[in-house]
Amino acid sequence: MSEHTTESELNFTRVFAAPRELVFRCMIEPEHLTHFWGPTGVSTPRENIKVEAHPGGAFETVLVNDADGSEYAMRATYVEIVEHERIVWIDPDSGMTTTSTFVDLGEAGTEIHIRQTNVPEPMRGPEAQAGFLTSLDRFASYVVTISGGSER
Amino acid sequence: MTRVEDRLDATFTALADPTRRAIVARLATGDATVNDLAEPFDMTLPAISKHLKVLERCGLITRSRRAQFRPCHLEREALDAAVDWIEESRRIWTERFDKLDVHLRDIQRGSSSRQKGNDQ
Repeated sequence: MSEHTTESELNFTRVFAAPRELVFRCMIEPEHLTHFWGPTGVSTPRENIKVEAHPGGAFETVLVNDADGSEYAMRATYVEIVEHERIVWIDPDSGMTTTSTFVDLGEAGTEIHIRQTNVPEPMRGPEAQAGFLTSLDRFASYVVTISGGSER
Repeated sequence: MTRVEDRLDATFTALADPTRRAIVARLATGDATVNDLAEPFDMTLPAISKHLKVLERCGLITRSRRAQFRPCHLEREALDAAVDWIEESRRIWTERFDKLDVHLRDIQRGSSSRQKGNDQ
């Protein structure tokens, strides 16, 4: 079963035209999170956002579907917070870990890199990652491209 | 729900290997025998068989018991479940970041004197 040490991960990257400190604050302060945390058609009421910004602290939100009012609670625990640089939280139910990295691009703004992994304790070294961890999300779009042309 | 997630977990583990992803991509274009699959990958049959077993165990592929060459068949539903999860996750982050983009513009505009919100 040694092959189970391999790992799957998803990566998302986005550049924002704003300074790094501000982008970082948006990702960790409830008064900012309430403006954007829910995807399209979903709100995140300010009063239901709980942020305990320290390792072991809670990160909880309640997503409200604008159309029918149905609610979905998200509960995670912060694992690591490095001011202006990195936020890591884990979803205790699924074991999925989300790492947000903030890169200062100077004039160009700030890049956020989101990495989601299924492994609770990231125990791999950087060189181990570089080799075989191609991202699943790119694979997904590739498979859809080659085989899913007929659906949609 | 946990069952689905367990299955997805096994699927993602199976797909974490580049050779297995390539096999899945090949099977997405049609069924193939072990021999068919071994050729382009320049691997031995036992090596390919080992990868196929992993894919079979998580339900991504099935193999005919009857046919002599036991062609491998991609189970689209299993793959779709994995792809759907990935697409969903990507959609959420895309939409979330679209909103963050707007929010960042709003607050930066607000701090640089060009206030909006004077409609009525």
